[in-house]
Amino acid sequence: MQIVSKRRYCVAGLAICALLDFSVASADTGRFVIDVSDRDGLPVSDVAVYALPVETAPAPPAALPPHAVMDQKDRAFVPHILVAQTGTAIDFPNSDSVSHHVYSFSPAKPFELTLYKQGAVHPPLVFDTPGVVTLGCNIHDNMVGYILIVDTPYFATTDGAGTGVLDGLPAGRYRVEVWTPRLRPGEQPEAIEAGVGVGATATLETRLTAKLLPAHGAGHSSLTWSRY
Amino acid sequence: MVALLARFRLVGACLCLSVPAFGADFGERHTWTIDVDLGVPSTSSDLGPWTTGELGKLRFDASDGLGGHRVMADYRGHMTQTLWVRAVLDYVDDASPGVDFTEAYLDWRPLPKSANHHQVRFGAFYPPLSLENGDSGWASPFTTSFSAINTWLGEEIRPVGIEWSLRRRLGFAGSPHELRTFAAAFYGNDPAGTLLFWRGWSLHDRQTRLDDRLEIPPVPVFGPGGVIVGLRDQALEPFEEIDDEPGFYTGVEWRFARRALLQLASYDNRADPWSFRDGQWGWRTEFSQLAAQIDLPGGIGLVSQWMTGEAYWLIATTPTGSTTPATRLVREEFESRFLLLTKQISPLHRLSARYDTFEMTRAASLDIDRGHAWTWAYHYQPTPKLGLALEWLAIDSRRDMHWGYFYGLPAQATERQWRLQLSYRLRNTDAT
Repeated sequence: MQIVSKRRYCVAGLAICALLDFSVASADTGRFVIDVSDRDGLPVSDVAVYALPVETAPAPPAALPPHAVMDQKDRAFVPHILVAQTGTAIDFPNSDSVSHHVYSFSPAKPFELTLYKQGAVHPPLVFDTPGVVTLGCNIHDNMVGYILIVDTPYFATTDGAGTGVLDGLPAGRYRVEVWTPRLRPGEQPEAIEAGVGVGATATLETRLTAKLLPAHGAGHSSLTWSRY
Repeated sequence: MVALLARFRLVGACLCLSVPAFGADFGERHTWTIDVDLGVPSTSSDLGPWTTGELGKLRFDASDGLGGHRVMADYRGHMTQTLWVRAVLDYVDDASPGVDFTEAYLDWRPLPKSANHHQVRFGAFYPPLSLENGDSGWASPFTTSFSAINTWLGEEIRPVGIEWSLRRRLGFAGSPHELRTFAAAFYGNDPAGTLLFWRGWSLHDRQTRLDDRLEIPPVPVFGPGGVIVGLRDQALEPFEEIDDEPGFYTGVEWRFARRALLQLASYDNRADPWSFRDGQWGWRTEFSQLAAQIDLPGGIGLVSQWMTGEAYWLIATTPTGSTTPATRLVREEFESRFLLLTKQISPLHRLSARYDTFEMTRAASLDIDRGHAWTWAYHYQPTPKLGLALEWLAIDSRRDMHWGYFYGLPAQATERQWRLQLSYRLRNTDAT
């Protein structure tokens, strides 16, 4: 397996090395392991990674409709970034004892979930347009979350070690995309094309060469950031 | 104006009571916090406390023992999805009447349709100027006694009006840069600046409630030839409307994620300095403020505010040998700044230190209040309900007054205060 495409954007770049790994992923599918690091080489968590088949149409969702959950916990969206396939029905439970009022004005899915408290159930919302949906809470200004809707069932977000694993891919060529809200729209890395074989694992390394914006809500602060 | 304020409080109370009618589910629409602060001060001062109408900068004097320093209820209720009512009810044991509102207002936040977030407040509220008083009921999470600037805002600044603010992220959706502007038109607050002029700056945590009457040092009344002929025993009602003209404030704020915040604001009560009504004089009071808070490396937080302004009024005098009254402009210039460092050592422990400087100068006179203060505070919070605070406050100031001899007071004043406070917090949610 070789690097098929390696392009450098002006401020952000993507360096990949696809390695042939003989560890067996599955009998009839392959696997991408994507390691994302910043320009200092440190792993970056909470980065969305997904693979779009190049030669075939996107695979239909495994189960119809696929289901996902965007929770609200400790006045934050959990997960901070949720990746889901087009057509996914997403639940927005509230695990806090305070009420939330979730909304989005993103073109991909403008919506509003009226004031609701812990245990209250809203019918799930179906996200049927690919794109980034930015979430906010009208009560808690500091709450920000993202839903990334993609036309593929092969997606993940990177873990604490900066690693995202895409499993169960039929052998073939894929366009692998990486997205994080910590890079400006023009700084997102270019997609890369890579192939994966049956039973093989392809490891891709991505370096985000543009300076990352601060992670949302990251780090402990001694100050009060929500205004009285 | 008393009637107007009374009406506001009445409206606030009615709204609180009426909110359940809007929604069957009580808990969903109501958030409240109740704080009970019991404290023991230990004070050593050359001056008596300002709360009894003396010239000191402290709230307590040496004879004060265990007391209810504050009992506060901060209530927020949703009338509709986007309209809230907020009211803060306050009891302190060294002011009368016992219970009164410090704030009562409607808060409307329409759902954003774009990156623009609008907010409108209507009622009696604090301008969003303090970076210190971010806790429920406008308390400070850092120290028990506020900085000189925010002490004064708590004493004399409380507009009754309408405020609009606009917040938006700059650039793309996830941008860490956020800009906020706000502007307000208000009635009331015409005597603001009076206490600052007669008494000077102070450092404490007693917020003036909407209907409070504050003691100010007995003001000498000058007769012909500049001879003091008596004392004017005047109680101050700082939130009164006197000239029926609105005042304004405006500001702009930039924020970089949860790392840095910078604010520039200005306030002008536009009071007619000639005006007088119901025992209250109008003081034209204007000030500007630059404020910042920054997350420093090592988990240390920095908060700083710098305020500069002036206030003036016109008084009638009768020069020696004349029977015709003349006017005299009395003008004060004031300035204060503070720098506060704080570190939340663990969820249980917080250490804070603050350095204040302050100055109030009466123009064309030797009347000056100038000094500085150190505040050291340790907060211990073993449970979400229980808090213990220990604070050391040291104020050194110099007060030169043209009538200072009348009081027989030292020009240099040293004021020291230990304060131990036990706080019990009850709320119906884990946060507001």
